Amino acid sequence: MEIGLTHYLIISAILFSLGLYGIITRKHAIMVLMGLELVLNATNINFIAFARYGGMNIEGHIAAIFVIILAAAEAAIALAIVLNIYQNFRHVNVDEVDNLKG
Amino acid sequence: MIDISHITVDLVKSISLFKPETTLIATFLLAMILDMAFKKSKNIAGYIAIAGLLITAIFLFEQTGANYKAFSSLLVVDSFGQFMKFIVLMSSLIIIVFSFFSDELHNAHTKLGEYYTLIIGMTFGMFLLVGSSNLIMIYVAIETMSISSYVLAGYTKEVKRASEASLKYVIFGAVSSGIMIYGISILFGLTGSLNLFEINQFLVANKVATIPLLLSGLMILSGFGYKISAVPFHFWTPDVYEGAPVTITAYLSVASKAAGFAVLLRFFKTGLLDSIPGTSEAWQLLGSIDWHYVIAVLAVLTMTLGNLVAVWQTNMKRLLAYSSIAHAGYLLMAVSVMNDNGVSAVLIYFFFYMLMNLGAFFVVQLVANKLNSEEVEDYNGLGYRSPVLGVCMTVFLISLTGLPPTSGFIGKLYVFSAVINSGYLWLAVIGVLNSVVSLYYYVKIIRNMYLRDVESTKSKLVFSPVTIAIVLLLAVPTLLFGVYFTPIIEWANYSMNIFVGN
Amino acid sequence: MDLITIAFYFFGALTIVFGAVVVFTKNIMHAAFSLLFTFFGIAGLYVLLSADFLAITQIMIYIGGILVLIIFGVMLTTRITGVEVKSGKIGKVQLAVAGLLTVLIAATLIMIFTTSNWYTADSVPLNSTVNEIGTALLTNYLLAFEAASMLLLIAIVGAAFIARKKH
Repeated sequence: MEIGLTHYLIISAILFSLGLYGIITRKHAIMVLMGLELVLNATNINFIAFARYGGMNIEGHIAAIFVIILAAAEAAIALAIVLNIYQNFRHVNVDEVDNLKG
Repeated sequence: MIDISHITVDLVKSISLFKPETTLIATFLLAMILDMAFKKSKNIAGYIAIAGLLITAIFLFEQTGANYKAFSSLLVVDSFGQFMKFIVLMSSLIIIVFSFFSDELHNAHTKLGEYYTLIIGMTFGMFLLVGSSNLIMIYVAIETMSISSYVLAGYTKEVKRASEASLKYVIFGAVSSGIMIYGISILFGLTGSLNLFEINQFLVANKVATIPLLLSGLMILSGFGYKISAVPFHFWTPDVYEGAPVTITAYLSVASKAAGFAVLLRFFKTGLLDSIPGTSEAWQLLGSIDWHYVIAVLAVLTMTLGNLVAVWQTNMKRLLAYSSIAHAGYLLMAVSVMNDNGVSAVLIYFFFYMLMNLGAFFVVQLVANKLNSEEVEDYNGLGYRSPVLGVCMTVFLISLTGLPPTSGFIGKLYVFSAVINSGYLWLAVIGVLNSVVSLYYYVKIIRNMYLRDVESTKSKLVFSPVTIAIVLLLAVPTLLFGVYFTPIIEWANYSMNIFVGN
Repeated sequence: MDLITIAFYFFGALTIVFGAVVVFTKNIMHAAFSLLFTFFGIAGLYVLLSADFLAITQIMIYIGGILVLIIFGVMLTTRITGVEVKSGKIGKVQLAVAGLLTVLIAATLIMIFTTSNWYTADSVPLNSTVNEIGTALLTNYLLAFEAASMLLLIAIVGAAFIARKKH
């Protein structure tokens, strides 16, 4: 069977689900971030696959570039916040940071 | 060489319509530089920010009547956007003024330069979001406002609960925007375009499978729902609202919600509706999905959960957080009818919501300055310890409940009448029942202020005249617009037409 | 099987296997390094999709930037040598529910992806996408491009503020 759009989409679907699994089950903030990176990469596979099979639509590539840029910015901010949490709490487990409850 | 002459014509016009945002960028840079130059003054960036916002307001006012797709349809300039931008702008201004009187911020061992700068950055992001008509632009704008708000939520970074709030905000926010962009990629796959106008044309011309469209719509909704804290994307709200500095809590509850609702309405009207110009009838929905019900269900869940959980809260910020979730539910109710009356009701409600909610948060901030507490119990006897503050807080709370003669009543009246006029009686009934529940927890605070600890000889609380004046500036309009509301209604009716292209 | 097919299955397997390692391993350093292979596999897929510029960007920004950032984050917040590197445990029931949910989501997505009609058009293969991307960024997507630069500035200001030590 020739490799087509569906093959790429299946990889994207699996990667997205893996990312979600990581986000749900991980406690370590940085591990959650890694799960998120998987989700964003799955998105990019979608964009580029749709671009390739939708008449080499360059918009998909542009979208993927923006996703990469924003992922970098978001990772930088998230890691800065994680560092700050570490200075305050001495650990970075998301569900142990829970002074706020009600 | 590529021929770009058609681009340049569009660009010149676009840039002239981009003045408000350009001013915000200039303000951002100027505030940052001057803050470094004048290290002694803590508030210098704040003054620059106020000046910049006022200039922005002038440029925004100049745009009255503009209806244009700017920057190759990345951005739309229309009267609906103008109204929402004014809401965002006014709340930014008010929040910066609040911040001058915040002990919480001034006692922190940090400079405040970045604080004001980031508020301007966030305002810029929200301005973009309100006008975006391209999915990538929406994503960039949401991230611009989010990244500023993540930092602002944890601005008092040595305070544990603030840094915790910031961590929760960034993790949930990043996940929800990740899911949103995945939904966008599916929509791109279905329609082959990222531009809302082109998506709309494609959906009009072609039949698109229901399930993927529904899936992508729901995923995109998760990004918007996060911003407006609609159930089930709300779970960050109480923690972040409680942990963040009060000023930022107030800001998130008004401005970022306004931007979220603006983009939600624009996404539906521009992207998913059959554009029949000049009808105030229900918008024709594309595809076989009944988005009315999707939004209506979200609205019911949101207001019910918000109101029921708010009843148990003992912390003022947490209580107002759940109350703001409930208000998002009322607003979603108006969105769910999907016609121009609904849009106008959202606009009217938002204007009043801004006044009363910011007012309530400012009272919380002032009390926290004096008593160092945000517990509802500590409001006992406040009505006697500071009569003016007590009366104003009562006005805000009554208005939040939606009782006459306050502006909150007018807002709710328009929301409910929009819902009933479209035949969703059951939705209106649930809304009214919810308002009754909300009466309980708002009145609980009023009872604490006036009927508890009446005999005890707690000292009077003295607030500076300036702060009292600010509270009055918010409380008087809250009452006044409850009686004389015509100008706001007219303004909202003028602004309710969302630009849908030609 | 032609070369493209072999390459696709190689990169696809690389992406998914190491993606799975990222979310299942207990050791956070292993997760970070597996992420490297996932990113690399995805870059390979981009090449197969004739997205040359994106493939290079993926390697430069994801592997050279974001991954390095993440590894620094790991090193600054956990003691590498101690047991601390291992992430906390979550109850078995929760894991099972999460796993079930994930499988369900994956199944739904795959079902949707395989059965739906997507927007397709005959594609003209490009020698290089760089030209097209550059033109689009500076014409139709000019505003998004400028807004992204503003976003990066905000991110720098914010991250520098949050991460720096107390004054």
